[in-house]
Amino acid sequence: MPGGTNPRSDALSAPPASPAATAAVAAPAAPVGVEARGWGWRHAGRRAWAVRELDLRIAPGERVLLLGPSGSGKSTLLMAMAGLLEPSGAAGVEGELRVAGEPPGAVRDRIGIVFQDPESQLVMGRAGDDVAFGLENLCLPADAIWPRVAGALDAVGFPYPPDRPSDALSGGEQQRLVIAGTLAMRPGLLLLDEPTANLDPDGAAAVRDVLSGIARSGSMTMVLVEHRVGDALPLVDRVVALNAQGRLLADGSPAEVFRRHGDALLEAGIWTPDGRLPSPPERDRGLVETQLVADQAAYTYPGGAAPALRRTDVQVRSSEALAITGPNGSGKSTLALLLAGLLRPSAGEVYATEALATGRGHDPMWRWPARDLVTRVGMVFQDPEHQFLTGSARDELALGPIRTGVEGRVARRRADELLERLHLAGLAEANPFTLSGGEKRRLSVATALATAPEVLVLDEPTFGQDRRTATELLRLLAGLRDEGRAIVFATHDREFATTLADRTLRLRAPEAMPIPETSR
Amino acid sequence: MTITAAHDPRTGWRVVDIVVAAAIGVAFGVVFWQWGVVWAPLFAGQVNPLAYLVSGMWLVPGVLAMLIIRRPGAAIFAETLAAIVSALLGSFWGLDVILSGAVQGAGAELVFAMFLYRSFSLPVALLAGAGAAIGEWLHDMPVYYPSTAFEVQLAYGAFMLISGVVIAGAGSWLLVRALAPTGVLAPFSAGRDQPEV
Repeated sequence: MPGGTNPRSDALSAPPASPAATAAVAAPAAPVGVEARGWGWRHAGRRAWAVRELDLRIAPGERVLLLGPSGSGKSTLLMAMAGLLEPSGAAGVEGELRVAGEPPGAVRDRIGIVFQDPESQLVMGRAGDDVAFGLENLCLPADAIWPRVAGALDAVGFPYPPDRPSDALSGGEQQRLVIAGTLAMRPGLLLLDEPTANLDPDGAAAVRDVLSGIARSGSMTMVLVEHRVGDALPLVDRVVALNAQGRLLADGSPAEVFRRHGDALLEAGIWTPDGRLPSPPERDRGLVETQLVADQAAYTYPGGAAPALRRTDVQVRSSEALAITGPNGSGKSTLALLLAGLLRPSAGEVYATEALATGRGHDPMWRWPARDLVTRVGMVFQDPEHQFLTGSARDELALGPIRTGVEGRVARRRADELLERLHLAGLAEANPFTLSGGEKRRLSVATALATAPEVLVLDEPTFGQDRRTATELLRLLAGLRDEGRAIVFATHDREFATTLADRTLRLRAPEAMPIPETSR
Repeated sequence: MTITAAHDPRTGWRVVDIVVAAAIGVAFGVVFWQWGVVWAPLFAGQVNPLAYLVSGMWLVPGVLAMLIIRRPGAAIFAETLAAIVSALLGSFWGLDVILSGAVQGAGAELVFAMFLYRSFSLPVALLAGAGAAIGEWLHDMPVYYPSTAFEVQLAYGAFMLISGVVIAGAGSWLLVRALAPTGVLAPFSAGRDQPEV
């Protein structure tokens, strides 16, 4: 395009001289608006558009809750608003999207974004340095940086000094740190992609307090993606919903949207404020038999000062669902890994009973070869990407069975059945890493199911899931339990835990951080 | 699409271009260093032109970086950086390896330049592998084989050429094709070339 001129530069009222950086540093943030005109995006390698024909105008200072079922393009839209999508890498772009009247890529320093996975955003070794990183990139003088860092850490209720190593934080603490780093830059547009999905209820409430403070101050435009609609509504004054095809489904004030479109939203798989998980039907259960025993099991990570999991006793039984709950840092994920035979306890024992070991002998589970383990205990990690090993969703599901001796053709047919059941059939050939957050979660559950294990261990299975997926997971897990399988799941999701669990093990917070026991 | 002055899509380097080119350079610097396991037994002792059949590995980063980044200078930059990293890690050839990398990168770079940085197809990738091999030959012959007969030098060149075309040319092209479906090339137009599902 000759000249490289911006055909709509007249729409820009700000003075041209290095406006963004100066504004972000000197003045308190001025909220900026967002405008989409017939905007659409198709990712490379996909036939379907992620977002299509979107017309949307967000005024400066508005606070918008963006809803949509898994894979509806919410994250794509958020990434585009943040200027993080590269048009030359897209299979298709239509219409236009502007932030503060500019292409988003040109005003990135006025836009802050917080992703689902805090680890994707932490770059420095120490917490304070991480918050300072963005400010350093804005070339702020050093003595102006640290007060802001302290203020931002304070604002998110960060419980440690700034020299805390950022890898010595739980997922929830990391997310709070990321939010602090974003707030420190005082953006005019704050984009949040399920910022509390990874936090324990107390931590999530603390972050929502911070966000509602920002909301009240009116200093930033906010676009929030959040599946827990009830929690998010107090933060926003407008709801925008996309449907599964990435088109606009509803737009308006929260009350109006849920009154007029409530049924359509539920049908599209979107949570609504009063849309509760349906209880699974009561059915006859199989035999209840102890399968796994943790006997005074504890774990300390190599070099860790304090144990990640303090001595714990628990039994896992067939035909039962066991919930592991507790605040961030209490060792839920660690216990899940121990029960799945993937970690060697540093003290105590984790062993399979004869019912599960079935002739495998009595060596401790962590010694079992993978072939013996996956046909008995399946593990679904908190981060689905940690268990993807192949180049397509179908191969992913066929891999476990093939490695345990199932014939390739049979394995692939089973894979297709699982894909169908978890609404992934259209993505059988897609690379697992290119799936949306919700799709990745469903695929990771399916990979664990593919080898038909007797015990299924899941770490935060409903994290970041839409209502349809959560409902489907609930039905699926309840069904597996009723067939006689043992289900163990670590979760922050109280509703999911109460609906599915037969027993709950509540882990306590580490020492020196007393947290009141909440009753179920 | 609006084009801003700072980012002419064919010549200006974006942050992601610099970071990825540097990552390729550093990663292959380590590969070069480890590649000794393969070449050391082949190059020990007798004069052996066949040994150069493995030399294409030294030419990969330049071709690969250009196939992904598609901006002028990518081949020279990545190839030279890889050579520098391998020298820092400890190279059999000492600092001369850096000159060697620059010349090889230039050989690949020239081929892409001849196509005005507009074509990144398989044939161009193969030619770029050949270009890098010619650079390798021009550097290595006077430095390491000055007294070798010209006919034998040509034999060296032939095997360099085969290896460059196969490993650096076809190999890099296949690597890009394998990377694209994983989504990691989304910031690049190279990421667009993949089957749609």
